[in-house]
Amino acid sequence: MRKILLVAGLMCAAALPVLAADAKSGAPTGKSFTGATANLAPGDAPGQWTRQARDYSNTRYSPLTQISRKNVGRLRLAWSFSDGQMYGHEGAPLVVGDTMYLVTPFPNIAYALDLSKTGAPIKWVFQPNPDPRAIGEACCDKVLRGWAYADGKLIYNLLDNHTVAVDAATGKEVWRVKLDDVTNGTTMTQAAFTVGDKVYVGSSGGELGTNGWFQALDVKDGHTVWKAFTNGPDSGALIGPDFQPFYPWMKGKDLGVSTWPTDAWKQGASAPWGWVSYDPDLNEIYYGTSNPGPRVPSQRPGLNLWSSAMFARDASTGAAKWAYQFTPHDEWDYDGVNENVLLEIPWKGARRKVAVHFDRNGFGYTIDRTNGEVLVAEPFGYQNWAKKIDLTTGMPIVNNAVHPIVEKKVENICPPDIGVKNWNPSAFSPRTGLLYAGVFNSCMDLTNHIVQYIPGATYDGMEMVRKAGPGGNWGEFIAWDPVKGKRVWSVKENMYVWSGAVATGSDLVFYGTMDGWFRAVDARSGKVLWSQKLGSGIIAAPMTFLGPDKRQYVAVYTGVGGGAGVLRREKGYPPGGNTLYVFSVDGMGIGSGTTQLVSHAQVAAPLSVPPAAAHN
Amino acid sequence: MKGLALTLMLAATPAGAQVAADTPNPFDGKADAAEAGHALFGKMNCAGCHAYDLTGGMGPDLTDNSWQYGGKPGEIFHTIAEGTPRGMPAWKGKMTPDEIWQIVSYIQSKHQ
Repeated sequence: MRKILLVAGLMCAAALPVLAADAKSGAPTGKSFTGATANLAPGDAPGQWTRQARDYSNTRYSPLTQISRKNVGRLRLAWSFSDGQMYGHEGAPLVVGDTMYLVTPFPNIAYALDLSKTGAPIKWVFQPNPDPRAIGEACCDKVLRGWAYADGKLIYNLLDNHTVAVDAATGKEVWRVKLDDVTNGTTMTQAAFTVGDKVYVGSSGGELGTNGWFQALDVKDGHTVWKAFTNGPDSGALIGPDFQPFYPWMKGKDLGVSTWPTDAWKQGASAPWGWVSYDPDLNEIYYGTSNPGPRVPSQRPGLNLWSSAMFARDASTGAAKWAYQFTPHDEWDYDGVNENVLLEIPWKGARRKVAVHFDRNGFGYTIDRTNGEVLVAEPFGYQNWAKKIDLTTGMPIVNNAVHPIVEKKVENICPPDIGVKNWNPSAFSPRTGLLYAGVFNSCMDLTNHIVQYIPGATYDGMEMVRKAGPGGNWGEFIAWDPVKGKRVWSVKENMYVWSGAVATGSDLVFYGTMDGWFRAVDARSGKVLWSQKLGSGIIAAPMTFLGPDKRQYVAVYTGVGGGAGVLRREKGYPPGGNTLYVFSVDGMGIGSGTTQLVSHAQVAAPLSVPPAAAHN
Repeated sequence: MKGLALTLMLAATPAGAQVAADTPNPFDGKADAAEAGHALFGKMNCAGCHAYDLTGGMGPDLTDNSWQYGGKPGEIFHTIAEGTPRGMPAWKGKMTPDEIWQIVSYIQSKHQ
């Protein structure tokens, strides 16, 4: 018994180097596990949350410390807001000044809520009325992964391939531009990303034989500043003399054409529907591309560049700087769209500027973002498709037992199409030097079927039975060391952990589960410090902000759906929903207590008839 | 000969012609129609939205008894031929009426 206690004590000591609170800031002190840091530009005021991942580096780190490991157990509902739409809810609210901005999944209605008033009433509503034909063309529910704020405008994508800008003060439309046609299978679900005078947007449609593109629009009027197709000739992909990929197999002319059968790139999808990050020092943006189309690999022999890859591009011109294909000739629909978190890490005695990327294929990559060299590629969850990533070539060593076969069931391919982690964004804490991510533990039995290209119809061909991986739990929430490529701790969950995460200056990390639990864990040990069951499952990213009352709040949307719907027949999968929940210590907020009662409750009037008489 | 006559009659049906909700499936009772419909369901990429086991995904489940646009054979034919305002493509012109009826037969076979 004593021995067990001693071991437990040592483990605690290792996980929590120093627990004493910093008297000035209220933040606990403690050492970084890895020495990794991040540029937190644009350096918004600590209480604001003006972009989906809070900073250009995509850390989702908030320096706020009012909600701490000591008082997090007292988090209670401050207020909530239901938007009435039943598709999956995937984005995080933005807080700019005293206003919160929300956008629903299709039909993409925007709300501005006034945080300075009790219960955060609606300031304005904007209804863009997108074309309902887009509903039938969106592969993975009719979602929107986020929205952006710039230059006094709320800017976001509509499912029917428009980007719209709304005056943030009035809710009036400023501009709307059409970027593609829904009848060819393209939709837009990506979270627009703004830097300076540009908004970066990408197409969706990996399962519909689309021709994926990414573009920069002018924040003022929405006109296209530059547009890069993923596949096809170098000219359309903005691949020119600046393009210097690290590995030789990605060098050559028009590889976006020659690594496909004749003309197959035109239906090769490779849609950039995930996250964008930005390095202000290099003036480069980073984003990933989707699976190649069709999903049946025998129909497209070749590497299929630039599918399931990432690009570094000049943010001003779009000129490609380098690319890296995570899953060459992607045979399992692994995509490459997940977030790239921009960090600086200690590496062999020097500091390296890196992008950390949890790929759907199950490897956590740490890549030198100045040149595309893979420094680390280690599994962050269960996978069996590759023995390893060969760091000298950048190529995976593929397990021959998991190649799909047409009209034959291949069993136990891990992960299935949805990956070891999907688009759900991770968080990074510069205090711990760790990343925090919701991950999946599952496998599939796969039968492939030959498909033909029909515009506007799916171009798919994968028949799958998905099942839980080793241990039987479908999900986990993990802390990851991006320098060593190792997990530091993990919390097992019953279902996929498909929510985003937020890390705070008080060493808390928040995430949600598909069965509806919203949790706060200790960033250093993974110990669950608080949990609250909410109305639906959580697949959105939580965020935290200071209200006009200088009080810290934590907010998260519920509303299960999206790709998480692949588990809809599993026991415990909840019904959909559409409620934003906002928490504070003891549920306090503007107008709490007696003030709220006086201003918002009906005061009981005395009865004019004595109760005894009323009973007659 | 009877079979040939039926085929000729169906082939004479112009593609996308209006089919009333109560129109019976001309392939009712023909055992191989559902099998032909099964093959078309894969070939024409129906499975990509409605799943290879018809339980849905990107598009609705076709094995339950919830029908947004009606579950009678003629209604199912109409939905496939004309598409829907919510994005299901119109398949008239891409498939013959016979082929659409065969897919209706396949869907009906999952409701017995």
